[in-house]
Amino acid sequence: MENSDNTVNKNLVELSTFLVGDALCGMDILKIQEINKLIDMTTVPQAPSYVLGILNLRGQIITSIDLSKKLGLGETNLSNDPRNIIVNSKGEHIGLLVKKISDVVQANTDKFEPPPSNMGGIQGEFFTGVYKTEDKLIGILDVEKVLRLEERN
Amino acid sequence: MQIEDDEILQGFIEESLEHLADIENDLLAIEEDGADIDEDLVNKVFRAAHSIKGGAGFMGLTVIQDLSHVMENVLGLIRSGKLTPTPEIINVLLQASDKLNTMIEDVNNSNEYDIEEHLVPLNDIYDGNPPQKAAPAAEEPLEDGTAEADTGSAHEETVVKRTVPAPEPDPEPDPEPVLAKETEVAAPTPIAAPAPQLAPTPKPSSPSVPKKSAAKVKVDTSIRVHVSLLDSLMTLAGELVLSRNQLLQTISSGDTINAESVGQRIDLITSELQEAIMLTRMQPIGNVFGKFPRVVRDLSSKLNKTIDLTIVGKDVELDKTIIESINDPLTHLVRNSVDHGIELPEERTKVGKSPKGLVILKAYHAAGQVVIEISDDGKGLDGEVLAEAAINKGLITPEQAQLMSEKEKVNLILLPGFSTAKEVTDVSGRGVGMDVVKTNLDQLGGQVDIISEVGQGTTISIKLPLTLAIIPCQIIMTGGERYAIPQVNLEELLRIPANQVKNRIERVGNAEVVRLRGNLLPLIRLADVLNIDRTYYDLSDEEFKKDRRERISDRRGKETPLDTREAEALQAEKDAIEAERKLDDRRHTPSSALNIVVVSNGSMKYGLIVDKLQDSEEIVIKPLGKHLQGCKGYAGATIMGDGRIALILDVTNLAIMADLTSMDGSDRASEVALAAEELVKAQKDKQALLTFRSSEKEQFAVPLNQVERIEKIKRSDIEELGGKRVMQYRGGSLSLIAVDDVAMVQPIADNEDLLVIVFNIANQIVGLLAIGPIDAIEISVSIDDVTLKQPGVMGSTIIDGQTTMLIDIYEIVGVLFPEWFEDQEVFEAPEEGKIPTILIAEDSNFFRNQVKNYMTESGYDVIEGEDGAIAWELLQEHGDEVTIVVTDIEMPNMDGFELTETIRKDPRFATIPIIALTTLAGEEDVAKGKAVGVDEYHIKLDKEKLMASVHHYVKQVH
Repeated sequence: MENSDNTVNKNLVELSTFLVGDALCGMDILKIQEINKLIDMTTVPQAPSYVLGILNLRGQIITSIDLSKKLGLGETNLSNDPRNIIVNSKGEHIGLLVKKISDVVQANTDKFEPPPSNMGGIQGEFFTGVYKTEDKLIGILDVEKVLRLEERN
Repeated sequence: MQIEDDEILQGFIEESLEHLADIENDLLAIEEDGADIDEDLVNKVFRAAHSIKGGAGFMGLTVIQDLSHVMENVLGLIRSGKLTPTPEIINVLLQASDKLNTMIEDVNNSNEYDIEEHLVPLNDIYDGNPPQKAAPAAEEPLEDGTAEADTGSAHEETVVKRTVPAPEPDPEPDPEPVLAKETEVAAPTPIAAPAPQLAPTPKPSSPSVPKKSAAKVKVDTSIRVHVSLLDSLMTLAGELVLSRNQLLQTISSGDTINAESVGQRIDLITSELQEAIMLTRMQPIGNVFGKFPRVVRDLSSKLNKTIDLTIVGKDVELDKTIIESINDPLTHLVRNSVDHGIELPEERTKVGKSPKGLVILKAYHAAGQVVIEISDDGKGLDGEVLAEAAINKGLITPEQAQLMSEKEKVNLILLPGFSTAKEVTDVSGRGVGMDVVKTNLDQLGGQVDIISEVGQGTTISIKLPLTLAIIPCQIIMTGGERYAIPQVNLEELLRIPANQVKNRIERVGNAEVVRLRGNLLPLIRLADVLNIDRTYYDLSDEEFKKDRRERISDRRGKETPLDTREAEALQAEKDAIEAERKLDDRRHTPSSALNIVVVSNGSMKYGLIVDKLQDSEEIVIKPLGKHLQGCKGYAGATIMGDGRIALILDVTNLAIMADLTSMDGSDRASEVALAAEELVKAQKDKQALLTFRSSEKEQFAVPLNQVERIEKIKRSDIEELGGKRVMQYRGGSLSLIAVDDVAMVQPIADNEDLLVIVFNIANQIVGLLAIGPIDAIEISVSIDDVTLKQPGVMGSTIIDGQTTMLIDIYEIVGVLFPEWFEDQEVFEAPEEGKIPTILIAEDSNFFRNQVKNYMTESGYDVIEGEDGAIAWELLQEHGDEVTIVVTDIEMPNMDGFELTETIRKDPRFATIPIIALTTLAGEEDVAKGKAVGVDEYHIKLDKEKLMASVHHYVKQVH
């Protein structure tokens, strides 16, 4: 999927970028099913803290995750018109709540750089790399890693 | 092997498997019939084998063809009567059909299979050398030559194979024909020399292996649906399309009035469609039960037991998914019954039972669920032994065990990590216990219950929902969110008004309990289990507010401190709360009432405190995402009508999360149970009563079963017309009466809010004016019918420390509306000369007098007996005079059942009508009564019905 055929250059991907907290993150646009602003969620008591709740997307039940909290960047303010990015992970739809959706950026995978070494800690492990545009730095999010369950027990 | 057409092959496989499933049971039936051959049955098996042969030949499945061919040969002999089917012959045939099954399931490799071990004995049988019983066969070869040796030992071998399903720890469980070949190649060599005919001997290990794995998962991918059902689905789909068109039209034209009716139509069609589609998924449970005759037969012969299996209710239908997943637990339970339940024949004869054990598999519908019962008449489960084992394993403490009821102890076997088998047998031990069965059934939403009596046998009953896809649920609210509780788990809804909370909620240790009809029910606050802020629903503001109370019983409830130290601590706590309470003025508002959902999961029952109760709804279960798998409290989620989501609560896990086990908190419950037992011992009848008041000071009660319903009205609803009080009720006028109209009691209180207790008497409805508080209670009645007896009052009894007058509603109505009874009074004028005599057997003075009054009022003569034994003497004395016997069930010395039995045994009274009176007519009791010869059952003191049937029988006799 990463290097999809509809681009002439196989190394070109389109990154959908969004703001998680103050950090600009991006992911392959082909992994995104849709973006909506459903926030009428049903809270699930006893759920992990990063799970905001569950919501009804056209008859499907979707777990919504506060991406910011999952990445350890603090809670997303729900009153600030956040967006849900619906992704499909291993047959299950999951909503990733982000603060704001930004542009779609064409990027060359060759120019992805490994995450800077000072980006350790929790956030660090969720990024596969960074991409530099003229004025911005985009953290490339590894969605599968974000959604992987912590195997504590 | 090349098979061109996959579809045809698939068809062949399905058809053949169906045939084989039938063959198995039919063969067993043939075996049972013995020499008395049922030709149709044999023909059926013959044809089945024949069609498999034909199909296999067409497909080029030569091995299958060969095997079915020889089977057909043997069956042909049986059909023509040339061969008598002995268990040995059937055995060989059964094994061959097993092999066919294996090969057909593994059809692509079927030509690689070796079937020599089946061919040889089958051909021998065909050649007129039927196998003999195992023991003589083993000796015969010495005298009878090689041919016999063949069959005999081949048969013996098969026996061995059954006894030890996996004789060698085969490292490769895969049904690999290669492996089979290897063993074959390797093994014959050493044995070939002494007895070449024994060549197939080493084989059995391999066929048994593929059989095992094949039996494990056999999920049908296709399903048979009746054409008529498909047709009705088609019609419904057509109607749905029409309605859709209508809907689109009304929407585009903005016709709101029509839209409503179209909406209704779609609603109707959808539910019909839903029902029809569910029907396509329903399958008879016989599909699962069908294999048990074989299982029991094989197992019992292996264990040297003789066991009859009775199957009842094959046609009961269940959802396909349930049918599929119930297979394993049921097999386990049946094997358990055969292995552990039924004793060896010698042991059985020793304790005076028939050497033949009995296992009954029964399925039936009950209350919207399907119940499957596996019962045996074996040695039963010993609660004490189980409790001891549980203590030894550290599952419970000795103290807990002491407080448990026998039933609770028996149900300990379901605890995880519990297995009573001293050693793991390959039959049912298998290293897992009943807890696995329970877990499997839990996943299906089923409930397991065990009833067992030492020496008498065990009955395990499983309650299963009809379907898993759509379930009815009770919707509740807590913390501002909605939750659904499956109706399967729902026992009842309970609302405790604010002013009763402190009386009915008690604390036992740390547990909060509510007194419910004499039993103590542990309580859990849903908010606490889910760890959310406690809230309550404020009725006046219509919103959820935060609750500050720590415990329900902080409302100054009765407390049962476990020791003095704790009592002191509690006192201190109380003082603190007292201070807080001053700020809290909510205690007596309706918002302070407790809403309790009483739920159960079979073995355990508890109350869940929620903020608000809503409707019950049919919901569709949807699974939760993987991130929420850790939340054990939910069984899934559903989408409600408004598009929002409600979580479905998992009642069992909630109890676990709240650290509530059926043993916990049951210490007090067992106390109460003991007390209840004593009551039963005292042989007193329990009567359900409705208590109410007419004036503030006097408490009254009426039998609950006489009450139709209770309405809340305002004083202004009452109209006084023509000297009578009436009110408008369901489009007509309801006559209103009060207790003081007839009885000398204080006049009805002058309250604005009144209650009307509606009775149906002589096919007329009448309302009795009353005021609260009303309560339904079940008490053991000892009624004083002297002290306070007066018109309209039958007598008095003490309820909750207060003298309560029992209202005779018939008498009140009779006085006020004599015309209502006119028809009935003249219904039976006793014929001149001979007055019918009725024998009443009843131990309670009160009831006996009541019934006697009813009878004498109608003009009958009455003879009374205080118990069954006396009644029997009286009957013998006055035998020819007595027309009808009316008897109570619960009586000392000789109960109603015994009395009936005794009467029926005497040829003089074989036809005398017997009417039984009981307080609670449980279905079992009714059935038992009918079995011993009771003609009719009546709930105690339903005068009209009782008299109607007395009249009926009197007429019949005269």
